[in-house]
Amino acid sequence: MALFSFNNIGISGMSGAVPKNVINNYEYDVFFPKEEIKEVVDKIGVKERRFADENTCASDLCYAAAEDLLNGMNVNRDEIDLLIFISQTPDYRMPATSILLQNRLGLSRSAIAFDISLGCSAFLYGLSVAYSMIASGAVKKALILDGETRSKVYSQKDRKTAFLFGDAGIAALIEKNDKFGTSWFSLNSDGEREDLIKIPAGGYRNMSSAETLKEKVVDEYGNMRSDEHGYMNGADVFNFVLREIPKDFKRLVEYAGVDTSTVDYFVFHQANQYINGLVAKKLKLADEKIPSTVHKYGNTSSVSIPLTIVSELKDKLNKHSRLLLCGFGVGLSWGTAIIDVDNCYVGNVVEV
Amino acid sequence: MKDKFITALAEALEMEDNEIKMEDTFRDYDTYDSLSELSILAMLDSDFGIELEMNEYNTYLTVGDLYKRVSSSK
Repeated sequence: MALFSFNNIGISGMSGAVPKNVINNYEYDVFFPKEEIKEVVDKIGVKERRFADENTCASDLCYAAAEDLLNGMNVNRDEIDLLIFISQTPDYRMPATSILLQNRLGLSRSAIAFDISLGCSAFLYGLSVAYSMIASGAVKKALILDGETRSKVYSQKDRKTAFLFGDAGIAALIEKNDKFGTSWFSLNSDGEREDLIKIPAGGYRNMSSAETLKEKVVDEYGNMRSDEHGYMNGADVFNFVLREIPKDFKRLVEYAGVDTSTVDYFVFHQANQYINGLVAKKLKLADEKIPSTVHKYGNTSSVSIPLTIVSELKDKLNKHSRLLLCGFGVGLSWGTAIIDVDNCYVGNVVEV
Repeated sequence: MKDKFITALAEALEMEDNEIKMEDTFRDYDTYDSLSELSILAMLDSDFGIELEMNEYNTYLTVGDLYKRVSSSK
């Protein structure tokens, strides 16, 4: 049971970045008629999202966010001794994108840099690793760069995923300070359900070939994709979220002994409006404490939690505030965290 | 109980109560698709406290099958 806590470590600043190319979902009738799209978009609540162009990677979005953050906070880059890049859309299969970003951002060669490959739960994992390395004394300042270009992962001819995902990146600075108090984490994994969300080919189990790139009709609705596109078994994922997320939420709250009335904001992974609304209803949470960006940025996988904080809480974190974060998705992997911020620097959502 | 179930199912499928019969194969309704399927799952969870795995849900074919599952869990 992965339940654990940290003392006096926290997020001192955050910035975000999104591609400037806005996709209006209601008008996105490239492969499907508008009336059919309207039904889907009304339900998932993704009115707009951002698509990176062919030359823009997750790392480029993170780089822009990091520059905004480090310049905005006037951080001495030599003091950053850990860089974690979180993504499932890295620049290359090797080397790790974090190493490229170390150089590009002008960080010290004595900095630790590595990637974490997880989806929608990943920001919580990144935080827990950065907190752990700071708690051990190995690291003083950590930079988490979390970016995704999910628009490049899913087939635009598969209506189960074509209207959900968008691209974004964020940067977060983590450091030690007595003002942060205690934070609590619950992290979970279930590989038995690996098939619910997957890109089946293009790795080393099913290597890329002419066959894996072939677009095929995959179901009775005529949806099309290749084996190198992502797919999502929506109904099973939906059931997983409705069942496990409220359970994990309650488990962590009980472990932490935190009264949920002391939580200022509940920031959920922005999966889609429908499922997020149902989870909030099940947990009986007040709407005004649940910031949301799914209407304008869509589902940006692991980026959606920190992006929502940067976008929606910009002028609200200048005092001591308590956040409950909840991420869930591909793996399956999910987690909940309760963290305090205190006069947190919140930069811009830069357009790239 | 039965009326409550029919009303909830009709709402999930955007149909009228009187259009739904116990012997109907619910996947054959015109309004049944992957979106309304989610509405049914959500309805079972929120209105009846039933969390169904898809492999179990997929074994239920008629409205009556689903109702039997709902009424037996109470």
